[in-house]
Amino acid sequence: MSIVDNVLSQQFQALVLKELLEVWRDRRALMIALGFTLLFPAIMIGSGALSFKVVSETNLNIAIVGSDYAPLLENQLHGTGFRIDLLREGIPRELLEDKYDAVLQIGKEFETDYRNLLSPKVYLYVDGSSKSGGRGIQLIQERLGTLQKTIMQQRLSARGIAPQVLTPWQLQIRDVSTPSSRGLAILGIMVPVLLIMALMVCSAAPSIDTSAGERERMSIETLLQQPLNGWQIIVAKVLAVTSIGWFGSLLSLAVLTLSFTLLPLAEIGVQFSAGIAELVAMSFLLLPLALLVAVLQILLALRSQSFKDAQIQLSILQGLPVALLMIVNLSDIKLDSPAWQLTPLIGQQQWLSLLMAGEAIPVPLALAGSLVTLSLVGLCILVGARALSRESLLGAT
Amino acid sequence: MVWMRRLYFGCLVMGFFIAHGAMAAEGNGGADDCYLDGWQYSLQCSRITVGKGDTQVKLAVMVSPALDESGEEPLYLLAGGPGQAASDLAILLNKFRKINQTRAIVLVDRRGAGLSRPFSCGIDRNTPNELEVISKSLADCYLQQTTFANSLSSRQTIEDLELVRKHFGHEKISLWGGSWGTRTALLYQQWYPDSLTALVLDAVAPIDTKVFLGASAAEHALQTLVRDCQSDLACSRFGDWRGELEQLLINWDDSAAKKFPDPVTGRISEQPMSLWALQSMIRAALYSPEASAQLPFAITEAGSGNYLPLAGIAGFFSDTTTGMSLGLTFSVACSEELHRISEEEVAADIAGAFIGRAFLEFFSRGCDVWPVPKRPYSKPEPRHHPVLLISGEADPITPPIYAQKDLDYLSNKQHLIVMGGGHINSIRGCIPDLIDKFLTSPEVKLDQACVKDIHRPPFMIGAYGPELDRRGGSDSKGMEQGGSGSD
Repeated sequence: MSIVDNVLSQQFQALVLKELLEVWRDRRALMIALGFTLLFPAIMIGSGALSFKVVSETNLNIAIVGSDYAPLLENQLHGTGFRIDLLREGIPRELLEDKYDAVLQIGKEFETDYRNLLSPKVYLYVDGSSKSGGRGIQLIQERLGTLQKTIMQQRLSARGIAPQVLTPWQLQIRDVSTPSSRGLAILGIMVPVLLIMALMVCSAAPSIDTSAGERERMSIETLLQQPLNGWQIIVAKVLAVTSIGWFGSLLSLAVLTLSFTLLPLAEIGVQFSAGIAELVAMSFLLLPLALLVAVLQILLALRSQSFKDAQIQLSILQGLPVALLMIVNLSDIKLDSPAWQLTPLIGQQQWLSLLMAGEAIPVPLALAGSLVTLSLVGLCILVGARALSRESLLGAT
Repeated sequence: MVWMRRLYFGCLVMGFFIAHGAMAAEGNGGADDCYLDGWQYSLQCSRITVGKGDTQVKLAVMVSPALDESGEEPLYLLAGGPGQAASDLAILLNKFRKINQTRAIVLVDRRGAGLSRPFSCGIDRNTPNELEVISKSLADCYLQQTTFANSLSSRQTIEDLELVRKHFGHEKISLWGGSWGTRTALLYQQWYPDSLTALVLDAVAPIDTKVFLGASAAEHALQTLVRDCQSDLACSRFGDWRGELEQLLINWDDSAAKKFPDPVTGRISEQPMSLWALQSMIRAALYSPEASAQLPFAITEAGSGNYLPLAGIAGFFSDTTTGMSLGLTFSVACSEELHRISEEEVAADIAGAFIGRAFLEFFSRGCDVWPVPKRPYSKPEPRHHPVLLISGEADPITPPIYAQKDLDYLSNKQHLIVMGGGHINSIRGCIPDLIDKFLTSPEVKLDQACVKDIHRPPFMIGAYGPELDRRGGSDSKGMEQGGSGSD
């Protein structure tokens, strides 16, 4: 019988249906898929939006010790973003421990030194380990810097000097990035990793159940007694697991896309440019990877000693691809060479990044890379089938 | 001496000067990426050919696309002058980022300005600041390019804007106009009301207002400065510095003019500071709150023979690169403004004003050698578009009173007045946010409370700068700086 006849055979179709029913009827697997795909993006986007809101709307508590010596400085700090208390005296460290995010200390001699052009010192105390410490330094420097610039100009003017004399040149910045390419740095890394994680997480429970689970329930022996080839059994299981893994990643993609409309991306100069065409392309590019993840997870679970062992092994190993992607992204490795694009996982991550930023992908390389992934899937199926036929994958139950 | 040659750019026309300002676009032809000084990101630039023969111009159009494609109507920025280029306004994009999130911002260099065949007549920052020299250059220029000079007008600019709007397929647009750009916007509203959604007008020059009668406006700005100085404990110690200014101008002679220092070289100027240039420089300082905060001290010092602080204020304009095209300036000013000013009106305007005829002199002498045809405006017809008016209380060329008394025909307007504000206030304090809110919901009345938080910078009190140990004035809290000044 040819492969086509095998695929079209009623036994095989019944097997696929049985595997699909088992996978999709497994409430635990569905809960994991829905939980991860819905909650994880929601938490990420929610925390992102919240932190942005916190940064933009929270007032910093500032104490000025000795403000009587230079009220103009205090005037300058008033405005949005600061809540200011004026203190005659106080120990900065204790004030920081109490309720203040920053303490500005002005000395008694400030006024005299200022008038005598002696450049008196002002001390800014912050707790660098607190979230608001760094922001306090930046905002206070910005506001006092504006006043300082005004005073500098006045001092120059008083001496008959044009401000340009102290500006030997003007640096004009030309930023060649686009709003979507700026988005690549944020969305291009985060989203592909999240989608690949969704594949791994959503496939794990059904992979274990359909392999180690069946073995523990001893139903796999019944399956092996059916007039079916080993590869047909593996393919049926892979298709079933892929269906839920792929569904999970597509759901993640949909939830993320919707969530981006809630994020104030435009306020940080970033644009979410992926349209329907890009999202459809991303969906199809994920399919070969979903097949590969499913077949690898099934093979690994079949090789494990028990159901629990399979759970432990897959839990440990499913973090590896994500860690690998993060390392590759954070390192200086140039990933745009064809060799990297043909490498499963890395190739997909690259294309998803580009599509997420609304940019074009190298279609021939994407097709070739997908074929490489599919070839690996085929190879794994053959390995699984041979092992099944020798019962070597049945392990010690 | 270059500083003095450049003085008229900042003080003799109705434009406005902002930091950086200079333009230098790259790219040509279709919608290419290009850059303008003052804005670090690329814009989409294209050329649209308008006019024929001698008057043909490839209009430079620069677009900063919206980040969110939410379909909001674009905002077109109209520059002042007449003669300033929209490409000079790129620095405004830094403050208009929020506006730019949902709507494209479009800059069109009108014919004769900026990158659209600039009509500068060879008069630039290096031309000596002498009326005779400028007048001679203008006369030669008019004879050489009469057809082009006669062709330039507000009507033509508005037809070009309408062409650009259609070219980009913008169904409706909103306009931001600054200074003379407000006149262009108001005329566009008259002629193409159906193309408009809303108007934001900063430093308003109503159609019926004779804005070149600027002496009393300049005096009003100076009097506002006097008032604010008197209410400041430290500044009030200067006493009657307005009176000292009067004496300084009356007694200004060749000997004083020759002693005026050059703020760039630090030496005595080779070119004496004429009375006309001195008056113009003081008037120019009133455009910017930063420069005007130094006037009481500088004038007091000048009264006792120390001209260095005044020279320092003049230095504010030494690197002003607004790219004002004086050919365009005179074509529009002479055909649309100067002809409708009578000698009686001039006499009433200059009475008691420190600037005297100095401001008008520049234009009347220029128009003598620039005989373009008169182009009177029709009486404005009622319009109901939402309009946001923005005025600086101490604006020396377009004071708030203009917007208050000459825009009765606008039924749906709101007016923001920045206390102590100079010329152009759109980038100060919370004004960019208010503009964004207005454009998003033009029918909603704005909460103007935050405008009160915009204050003058601290007055210069001594060689050390402002006083630190006294609060500036009765209500001075949280000074906001970096406004329309040429810092």
